[in-house]
Amino acid sequence: MATKLARDVYVIGVGMHRFNNERLASAAMADVAGMQALDDAGIGFPEVGALYNGYLGGGLTSGVGIAKEFGLTGIPVTHVENASATGSCAFGEAVHAVAGGRVDVAMALGFDDMNRMGGLGRSGGRRMGAEDVMLPAAFFAMWATRRMHDVGTTAETFAAIAAKNWNHARANPLAQRRADHEVTIDEVLGSTMISYPHTSMMACAAGGGAAAAIVATREVAERLSSGRPLVRVTASQQRSETYTDGHVFLGAVIGPAQMTRDTAGDAYEQAGVGPDDLDLVQVHDAFPVEELVYYELLGICGDGEGDRLVAEGATRLGGRIPFSTDGGLTARGHPGGPTGLAQIHETTLQLRHEAGARQVQRARTGLCHMAGAGSVCVVHILQRTEG
Amino acid sequence: MGAIQVPTDPRLFRLAEGDECRPRLLGSHSPESNLYFWPRRLRCPVTRSAVTDIDLSPEGVLYAWTFLYVPRMGSISFGDRGGYGVGQIDLPEGVRIQAPLLGTTDDWQIGSPMGLTTFPVGRDDDGNDLVTFRFEAVR
Repeated sequence: MATKLARDVYVIGVGMHRFNNERLASAAMADVAGMQALDDAGIGFPEVGALYNGYLGGGLTSGVGIAKEFGLTGIPVTHVENASATGSCAFGEAVHAVAGGRVDVAMALGFDDMNRMGGLGRSGGRRMGAEDVMLPAAFFAMWATRRMHDVGTTAETFAAIAAKNWNHARANPLAQRRADHEVTIDEVLGSTMISYPHTSMMACAAGGGAAAAIVATREVAERLSSGRPLVRVTASQQRSETYTDGHVFLGAVIGPAQMTRDTAGDAYEQAGVGPDDLDLVQVHDAFPVEELVYYELLGICGDGEGDRLVAEGATRLGGRIPFSTDGGLTARGHPGGPTGLAQIHETTLQLRHEAGARQVQRARTGLCHMAGAGSVCVVHILQRTEG
Repeated sequence: MGAIQVPTDPRLFRLAEGDECRPRLLGSHSPESNLYFWPRRLRCPVTRSAVTDIDLSPEGVLYAWTFLYVPRMGSISFGDRGGYGVGQIDLPEGVRIQAPLLGTTDDWQIGSPMGLTTFPVGRDDDGNDLVTFRFEAVR
């Protein structure tokens, strides 16, 4: 049973370096994101009691090295890594450090450049193993072909989801992919086929970037609010896989889909809300079939009904329940370590009603979902409260 | 080609022996849960009880597939064009395997029977042919 966090936890500051494909230095991007988060919170680094760094590449001691630029305050600095869910897990560690009473203020900082990493799908140089042939693009494409077989989903539906996210990113100055025109379904379908039925414009944007979030107790949050609405973390849940029929042990990029349903169930219980209470959602939309399946696994609609949501435009900005409001992994980008923290950044801005042209009207509750290679699922629920 | 074939990972599969016409994937069976697993497990992941080594059935049914339009699979290059198919195959023991597929997209239908086979991926330091496994449509 998911119990409530032992102490109330609030997001008091967020920061982000624009995601990009420009091979910028991760340390420099991390510094921008971290300092922005401190400025946003209105505190200096000496007030931070613990720092959780999320990164996949960058070397063994990158996190503590970057922390030295913020100040030699002697706080615990910890490296967190959980594949694509790294940033979400770093945020979760910060939340639980505050909730559990270890510190009153904790910071999560994610930075990376996916273009500089090895890992899944690497080529050459050694005996080939199953992980070499099962690129993430192939794994999720098989989700797609099976869904096409079972539900009758069309490539046009996948393209509609991707086009939506490309167009959401047009209103996000921090997104990696910013089209200078309205992206159409035909344009997405006409881009290079990479793994049937997924085209290059359906694949997440791999690149670099950084994002940060600072969390604190209610007492600290209220002291710093200056009348700004508070953003409370009402659920922080993480799971690995349980056994399911057709379980894949070798070559699975992420665990069974059921993992998302279970983690979300835990989060709803912890927050005391349900899917109908959500105003916006961020998900691990590395490929559009994921976002489509997550509509159902998160309980936004019934099984097999996700296609109808797409057709109705329910998940676009202005729709009933917007998904991937900043462009998602598809267009905002997916550098690795900072990706989950970019979701927290976006949701915090939305709940403060500071998201500009992509603002979801009257947003009060947002859910952030990330999946990670191996077997990781993380769900956070953030809610607006008046300061 | 060298005369001797060597599996790239002998923990995952073995070559056909005797009058067998197909190689075998090396799995585990849990008598307590009556579940089968691949690759081999140290213990049953559901009951934590002891497992026994078994050879899995060499034929199954295609659950899902895709074709990757990328020129490399591990150390094998397909040049500037081409690519390769991959699939998920359900074996009768209830095990789902992910593997490369032999053939073209016209050969693969979800629900159709598939059989295990091998293909060369290079040579080891002793000059033996390294082979790994894949599935092909059974006609």
